[in-house]
Amino acid sequence: MSRVSFNCTMQEGQVGEEMRARLAVALQQITQDVLGESPDDVPVTFSDIPRGFGFRGGEPSTTSLVRGSIVGGITQDVREDFMRRICDRWMEISGCTVDELVVSARDA
Amino acid sequence: MPYYRCVVPKDSVPYEQRAAVAKAFTDIHCGNTGAPRSFVHVVFDEVDDSWDTAYFLDGGNRAGRSEEVKAELLSDLMGAFREITGVSSEEFSGRITEGPAKWTMEGGMVLPEPGEETEEWYSHGQAAAGG
Repeated sequence: MSRVSFNCTMQEGQVGEEMRARLAVALQQITQDVLGESPDDVPVTFSDIPRGFGFRGGEPSTTSLVRGSIVGGITQDVREDFMRRICDRWMEISGCTVDELVVSARDA
Repeated sequence: MPYYRCVVPKDSVPYEQRAAVAKAFTDIHCGNTGAPRSFVHVVFDEVDDSWDTAYFLDGGNRAGRSEEVKAELLSDLMGAFREITGVSSEEFSGRITEGPAKWTMEGGMVLPEPGEETEEWYSHGQAAAGG
């Protein structure tokens, strides 16, 4: 069983296949850099919310959610560094703004 | 956060109702908790398989609010959903689960615990809502 895994949820049409591949590699690389996990052991899945089915603040959403799960947990200092790096890299690759991204790193 | 996922049968809730539910949930959540509107996420998940009830509200919030606030919030949300969609009480169930705020980063900031929100956090939320 993988210690770290990611599930990424995006609004339909916002993140293409090529970009998903780059985002997955980035998540795996950050996980290796921060937590020491081999990229091959970090599964990343993507799912789309169809147009008209996702809202934020009562309006149609453009937000992506990156949910990380970490078996055994990590300290809060490491978690914040981990989430910050994911946030920065995701924005760099996708071009989204900081207000269009939610990142979580949950102990499992 | 909060993240409200409405599990519904396929093609059962048209866009106008989904938009109305999303707005109502945002109003209710912010009215009950004081959270900025831009932090309220509502998604609809159409499923083919039936759950215990045909419609289900699966909410995820920051941990730390009183039982009274949580119960009122869930009751208000479910009431609004039923009123907008016409779904009966028998067809609809729901829950709100909670997780530590510090596990999530939104708007580039680690979420504060309920009751520990700063002016900076509120300001950022309002700016995001207006942007």
